[in-house]
Amino acid sequence: MGSKVSDHHLSTVRSIVGSEFTDMDIIRALHMAKNDVNAAINIILDTHTAPRLNLTRPNNHRSVSPPKPSPSPPIVTKPSSSEQRIDNNSDDWWLVSCGEVTGLSTCKGRTINTDEAVIFKFPTKKLSSPSTGKGFGRTAACSEIVRFSTEQAGEIGRIPNEWARCLLPLVRDQKVRIEGKCKFGPQVLGIMDSIILSVSVFINSSMFGKHHQVSLKDATNSTDESVFHPLPTLFRLLGLNPFKKAELTPGDFYSNKRPLSERVTLPRVKFEDPSQNGNENDNEDSISETEVENIVGVGSSAELEEMDPPVNLLCDLRPYQKQALYWMIQMEKGQCMDETATTLHPCWEAYRLVDKRELIVYLNAFSGEATIEFPSTLQMARGGILADAMGLGKTIMTISLLVAHSGKGEAVGNQPMAKSFTEGGEVSDNVHTFSNIPKKATKFSGFDKPTKQMNSLTSGGNLIICPMTLLGQWKAEIETHVHPGSLSLYVHYGQSRPKDAKSLTQSDVVITTYGILASEFSSENADDNGGLFSVRWFRVVLDEAHTIKSSKSQVSVAAAALIADRRWCLTGTPIQNSLQDIYSLLRFLRIEPWGHWAWWNKLIQKPFEGGDERGLKLVQSILKPIMLRRTKHSTDREGKPILVLPPADMQVVYCEQTESEQDFYGALFKRSKVKFDQFVEQGRVLHNYASILELLLRLRQCCDHPFLVMSRGDTQDFADLNKLAKRFLRGTYNASDGEVKEAPSRAYVQEVVEELRKGEQGECPICLEAFEDAVLTPCAHRLCRECLLASLRNATSGLCPVCRKAVNRQDLITAPTENRFQVDIEKNWVESCKVTALLSELQNLRLSGSKSIVFSQWTAFLDLLQIPFTRNNISFVRLDGTLSQQQREKVIKQFSEDSTTLVLLMSLKVGGMGINVTAASNAFVMDPWWNPAVEEQAVMRIHRIGQTKKVTITRFIVKGTVEERMEAVKARKQRVISGALTDQEFRSARIEELKMLFT
Amino acid sequence: MANSNLPRRIIKETQRLLSEPAPGISASPSEDNMRYFNVMILGPTQSPYEGGVFKLELFLPEEYPMAAPKVRFLTKIYHPNIDKLGRICLDILKDKWSPALQIRTVLLSIQALLSAPNPDDPLSENIAKHWKSNEAEAVETAKEWTRLYAIGA
Repeated sequence: MGSKVSDHHLSTVRSIVGSEFTDMDIIRALHMAKNDVNAAINIILDTHTAPRLNLTRPNNHRSVSPPKPSPSPPIVTKPSSSEQRIDNNSDDWWLVSCGEVTGLSTCKGRTINTDEAVIFKFPTKKLSSPSTGKGFGRTAACSEIVRFSTEQAGEIGRIPNEWARCLLPLVRDQKVRIEGKCKFGPQVLGIMDSIILSVSVFINSSMFGKHHQVSLKDATNSTDESVFHPLPTLFRLLGLNPFKKAELTPGDFYSNKRPLSERVTLPRVKFEDPSQNGNENDNEDSISETEVENIVGVGSSAELEEMDPPVNLLCDLRPYQKQALYWMIQMEKGQCMDETATTLHPCWEAYRLVDKRELIVYLNAFSGEATIEFPSTLQMARGGILADAMGLGKTIMTISLLVAHSGKGEAVGNQPMAKSFTEGGEVSDNVHTFSNIPKKATKFSGFDKPTKQMNSLTSGGNLIICPMTLLGQWKAEIETHVHPGSLSLYVHYGQSRPKDAKSLTQSDVVITTYGILASEFSSENADDNGGLFSVRWFRVVLDEAHTIKSSKSQVSVAAAALIADRRWCLTGTPIQNSLQDIYSLLRFLRIEPWGHWAWWNKLIQKPFEGGDERGLKLVQSILKPIMLRRTKHSTDREGKPILVLPPADMQVVYCEQTESEQDFYGALFKRSKVKFDQFVEQGRVLHNYASILELLLRLRQCCDHPFLVMSRGDTQDFADLNKLAKRFLRGTYNASDGEVKEAPSRAYVQEVVEELRKGEQGECPICLEAFEDAVLTPCAHRLCRECLLASLRNATSGLCPVCRKAVNRQDLITAPTENRFQVDIEKNWVESCKVTALLSELQNLRLSGSKSIVFSQWTAFLDLLQIPFTRNNISFVRLDGTLSQQQREKVIKQFSEDSTTLVLLMSLKVGGMGINVTAASNAFVMDPWWNPAVEEQAVMRIHRIGQTKKVTITRFIVKGTVEERMEAVKARKQRVISGALTDQEFRSARIEELKMLFT
Repeated sequence: MANSNLPRRIIKETQRLLSEPAPGISASPSEDNMRYFNVMILGPTQSPYEGGVFKLELFLPEEYPMAAPKVRFLTKIYHPNIDKLGRICLDILKDKWSPALQIRTVLLSIQALLSAPNPDDPLSENIAKHWKSNEAEAVETAKEWTRLYAIGA
């Protein structure tokens, strides 16, 4: 062994002798011991006396005070020398319990006497925070070692890691204090000897109350992955047992021993297996419902009681709607009021401290939070998910709930539901009554502050949040169905909406949009009166609640941060893309512990993704008690369907492309396939997912009408398509007057075309007027030709006025005109096979006066359709995303009321959201969409309550194209969504799917 | 100057400036010459000019927007890029002018210049030197000038 002292040795010795010794001391010792670690330790410990700590002597029993809050010197706890000290403690410290710790000697030759007090020394915080629960174990540096010493002998030993690990963060934050004395130890200590210590652990009252702090933003913490909580661990080490156990603990989920359904004590909804009546024609309609059913199950709620709607509701409810009303009222009640207040929240456990003052501490088994306030089930979610399939009237059911029970959150605080119910709440069988609820035993000083903060929020009424498209509908439905004067209504929308809590609390019902919610959340810190967030709502209802499905989105976080006593999600599709969609809903609903991402991820998400069916089972058992879902196939007590709608015919029209169309499509397909095959060869399919979707997009658009592809302006990529495009145009175009315009010769246009596509007129940045003869620079900036040329330094070149890139005059591209198409579609109008098929269908319907909705995903296609409609005198209106809320309402009104307006052109996305257009009895879905749920949702706008006529739904598929393949892929996708595939399988499945599309 | 043949662009810009003023900036055209603007810029917070109200004049030359507007501080200001005549050293007012810029963007740039003086590209040699040698002192002077000339005036 050389004489050089290695860092390794240095740190080994340090870990034993502690940080009181300088590096120099240790190096010197190692030198003397010739780098023998043990010898060096002995040298140090023998030659040095007690570690130089400035311990304060416990000169009398009275002067003991909690450690000073300065974190820099090592935290030292003082010895206790007699029992009576505890009573003399300041009010802030409470004895938790006494226990035994087996310490490990780190010294040699020193002595410790039985009953001699020991002093614990906690290392001060290093930069790497150890309290996150990660990185413990071998690598635990000496900064995490808790040592103890005696007055006389100095440092004696250290306590085991498991103790150190949970004590350290708590002592550092001054939440816990530990005192100890030697219970038993060898007369003369040797290194690694055991020393039995008896310890008393005290807890500081400041530990509590945190739980009650209402933090608006706390939903953002939900991605915290940590599941280690020091306090519960400490309690366990101390051998402290809860006298009242949590009904729900993490252990339950690990072991999966018990069903969860006991949690909610409602008259149980009996869920039966989805009774799919094997109705194969219905297949198209039920795809997405089947998916949802696979995950969440569907209930025949026949067992539920019905509740008559209040007299102020001006319409009759169907029996299943009355059941929903009963169910919702029950869910809001949770249990009988007295019992909710006296029943321990199932995630919490109760401990009685040893302290004579008989304090009871409640610990959350999941979050590790502690409180002394009784965590009753009042804090639990009241509300749930009303997930009835589309068309069953979720809106009216909700309105009936509003009317039945709409009192503003009058009493705030511990008894938010001062209004008691008259029906007399049935108490269900498995209520765990907590018979002798301790009233707050003793008052903690400074404890009641946080609750006040919550009380300071103004009490509000009902808040309904819906997509912008539905604002008008909610308003209209409430106005039609509720007796005038019984519910005051206010629509919180628009630039000039008031932000103060006062105006929000004046009405019984406030309706707003997800957009407003998100924007008031983000600006909530800026100005103090945070609008929607300054109110404690009596009830919050999220309509189309799947809007918040992405848990990280602003709107989702914002929704979760709302403060409300009752929370409801309305959605016909609780799961749209993945299981994770549910997490956001549970977080909003405060279904504990699932609002903590760590637990959700650990117990549900990961197992589910890994193909472990327990994840799915768990979700099902969570959802069962809080979700009511009926479909149109659900039956009542007598086995009759709950809702009888006029029959719906689903038909698919297969179109045959014309020869010129086929040539165009064929060429486009070939090119796309070449690209795709390249990706496959390189094994980079999933990396190029976006470009592949882009290729598919063009193919799909081409199926609608080749003009759509020509409008994309990326003709550089597809230059040789121009000829075919021309040929296609010539098909019916007799070269009479116009000419086929030269196509733009550069790429780049695409983005700007996108902008045009969105219908943005825009203005020239130079003249600030609408573009006149717009040109595009190679850097894709759009300006009037005149303006740009005037700005160039000389006749041929200059800098782009917007970005200062060099521009040559010859590089300028003539921008596509507002109609988005390179060709003059009016002059060159040609019907595609789909358009022809649609027109013939519409002509047939015209005589009967039956109204139709035409759906497409592409507003450009809607543009195109307007041409033949106008030419054929088919009067139509149009609804797409560019319309303002008022314009939308006007369009729907006109379509519903004007008997001559026969067709509504609607973009699929807009149509998906709760719009009610039962005036139409035909729906034409022009192009298949990836997600059948979206398609279905749109179509269900006409096949719903209020529809009296037979409904026909027609989908168009072009034969031998990507559209046909998509149908096949959809069938597969169903499996993916229903969780039958693991992650790995999912990846390869995606590649397979894509390959299918390119065959 | 005849206001009757004022270009549409100037009219439009003026309307927008009046209807949606930029925060901390006001610009209103003179009654007798619509190409001449009286401008006030509030000293940006956390700059030595905080609390001050700085008056400027802005003139749109005949060639505008193909040529940059002419802008000058009327209020005395201690700033390395502004000289004692109130002239401003700002690239977009010189060679980096682009017709896509507007009165609003110019004034915003000037406001930004107050927040971030650039002594490396000085107009006032002395002030710039001061700034570089003893920034704290220079900032104090700037504050003092703001108090003297830009507050309550």
